[in-house]
Amino acid sequence: MQQRRLFAILRSLCQSDIEFIVVGGLAAVLNGAPVQTYDLDLVYSREPNNLDRLLKVLGELDAIFRIQPERRLRPNHSHLAGTGHLNLLTPYGPLDLLAVAGHNLGFAQLLPHTVEMDIGEGVRVRVLNLETIISIKEYLASEKDLAVLPILRQTLRESTRRPR
Amino acid sequence: MLPESKPANPAVLEEYSPDGVDLTLIRWTLSLTPGERLQFLEDRINEVLAIRERNATT
Repeated sequence: MQQRRLFAILRSLCQSDIEFIVVGGLAAVLNGAPVQTYDLDLVYSREPNNLDRLLKVLGELDAIFRIQPERRLRPNHSHLAGTGHLNLLTPYGPLDLLAVAGHNLGFAQLLPHTVEMDIGEGVRVRVLNLETIISIKEYLASEKDLAVLPILRQTLRESTRRPR
Repeated sequence: MLPESKPANPAVLEEYSPDGVDLTLIRWTLSLTPGERLQFLEDRINEVLAIRERNATT
């Protein structure tokens, strides 16, 4: 059965008015970079009301921590309020929630560097722009990040040359 | 008459960047809407998962 796993998670979050930014590999894809990714990386706002709503949606999505899925540990409010990365698993696939990305950049710092995109069925999401994705990967500079940089840089070059 | 989409600058016709990136693939993905990019990625993920599942049970 063909499922729209990524779309399902994003739609659930949008329908619950969660404030988040799509970052990582999916952000690169949505910006037009031909890269593959299996997970969904999101930076979320840690405003108390947003955390309450997010926790509720994570419950509806049956999200558990990926490190020991057999224990079915669920994220709680204090996990979300912290500054770490929550590597979760849902029936729709992996979901990584980041309090900050790159050089400790939180939701508010990243927001000016986003583009709102329509991903179908009226669902609109905030996506980190390609310039900032490149900047973060240059800062992180792990082998994984460096490997994808040539594709991201060329995508930025081509998109600047031929804007949609 | 040339097709409207044909670039006037011959340099745009390069297929690969000097560091080996396939520019034709990038141009193709840039021609899609964000929704189409997401759908294509999900289709590919589903195809790969189906192949893995098929081979795990045989």
